[in-house]
Amino acid sequence: MSEDFIVTALKDRFDELLNTRIAGLAPERFGPASDFVAEAKHHLIEVSPTALSRSFAKMTAPVRWMEGNFDCLASLRRLSLGEPLDLRSGTVPSLSTFLLDVSSSHDPGASFQLLSGRYHCPLNFTLPAEDGVREWVLTRVMVHERALIEKKSVQAIHAEDLLLKLNLVALEACAGSDLRFLDALNYYYELLPSAWHPPGQHDWLLVSYFCLYARALAAWISR
Amino acid sequence: MRAGILVNSLPAALTIYDELKRVPHCAVLVLLSPAPNGSSGLARHLARLFLRRGGLRSLWLVLGRKVIRFRKPLTHPKTLTRLKGLELDVGLHKTGEIYRQSTIDAFRLGILNPHIGMLPRFRGRNVMEWSVLKGEPVGITVFFIDSNIDTGERIVLSEEIDISDCRSLSEARQRLFNLDAVFFRRAIELLGSEGFEYKLNDGSGHRYYVMSRLFRRAAEKTIMNF
Repeated sequence: MSEDFIVTALKDRFDELLNTRIAGLAPERFGPASDFVAEAKHHLIEVSPTALSRSFAKMTAPVRWMEGNFDCLASLRRLSLGEPLDLRSGTVPSLSTFLLDVSSSHDPGASFQLLSGRYHCPLNFTLPAEDGVREWVLTRVMVHERALIEKKSVQAIHAEDLLLKLNLVALEACAGSDLRFLDALNYYYELLPSAWHPPGQHDWLLVSYFCLYARALAAWISR
Repeated sequence: MRAGILVNSLPAALTIYDELKRVPHCAVLVLLSPAPNGSSGLARHLARLFLRRGGLRSLWLVLGRKVIRFRKPLTHPKTLTRLKGLELDVGLHKTGEIYRQSTIDAFRLGILNPHIGMLPRFRGRNVMEWSVLKGEPVGITVFFIDSNIDTGERIVLSEEIDISDCRSLSEARQRLFNLDAVFFRRAIELLGSEGFEYKLNDGSGHRYYVMSRLFRRAAEKTIMNF
């Protein structure tokens, strides 16, 4: 019974996301990333959840650590447009050291660097062994950063760090079966002001977050 | 058994106090600490008492020296010294606070929390709503807290609660919250019973977070269609 209500809610959100938030994006506001934003808009206009879900299914979540020819941010752009990454097996970097570094860092800029450094191939974030990092990211997003925005304002957060985390959360929501990750995206869709334009050179991470959120919604609707 | 009800306002303790008085050989104190937002004047507490039904009767708690009022937060050294001096076995959580280990350690056994979710599966926020959304049993788990979120290992009592006749999430939540006094009493009785053994909160579940409006509406529709 609740599955029907969940799917209905997700379909409504999918339509709203595409028809208002994504359709309302002004590519020219994104400077050097304006082409990417225009392409993302074009890619998602009037697409059905089934078609979007099918295009993402081509990017099967990896079963072991992968490496590609792109860095984390370039990979996120490609993934959000449904483009392949051309991956090969790689060597897993130490998880315990990373978790220690990222969880002891109180500087969002450092967190951004650490996460983007580890996830050159962002799909590695969805690997079972990365569970500890996923939980850490989810807690940061849904407790610390959420509280900061709700108590102060969206200006109080490090936008690029938050948006990178939301992009990673969206990949997990696309590939996994844990509703908590999808709902973090739901929550931030409701929390972030619709007219908000993030500061920083990677403002387009807002758009890739929207694209990957749309793909996550499509994946859940089509299951 | 000596129990202390940890509250930020006196009315919050009344039902629990009355329920625990039914337990033989259980001494109960009300431990009144400043609210996290700082409004904690005794006059304010007494005013609330008078405004509530049965408040006058409960005023005898104050006059009968059953209320210990702390001027400083529960983490303050003076408060901790005073708490330890009371030699309480169990604290009963009814404040809006997350406790530090030093406060938990001021009670011989620790602080009990009536969590409105089934542990170990559902830790964290909005767990009743998440249970409804996922089609899983709703219930109450009384366990000894630690300084993290719903990870205390010792579960005293865990029981499913039927909410099938509730017509909204808020009605279901209220039903569970209203059971806290009864569950505290039953937990205290169990702790004093012969051969009692804890169940293990083994961390096998997930921590849940505040739910989006989108999923809250879906959970609301689910409960309306039970």
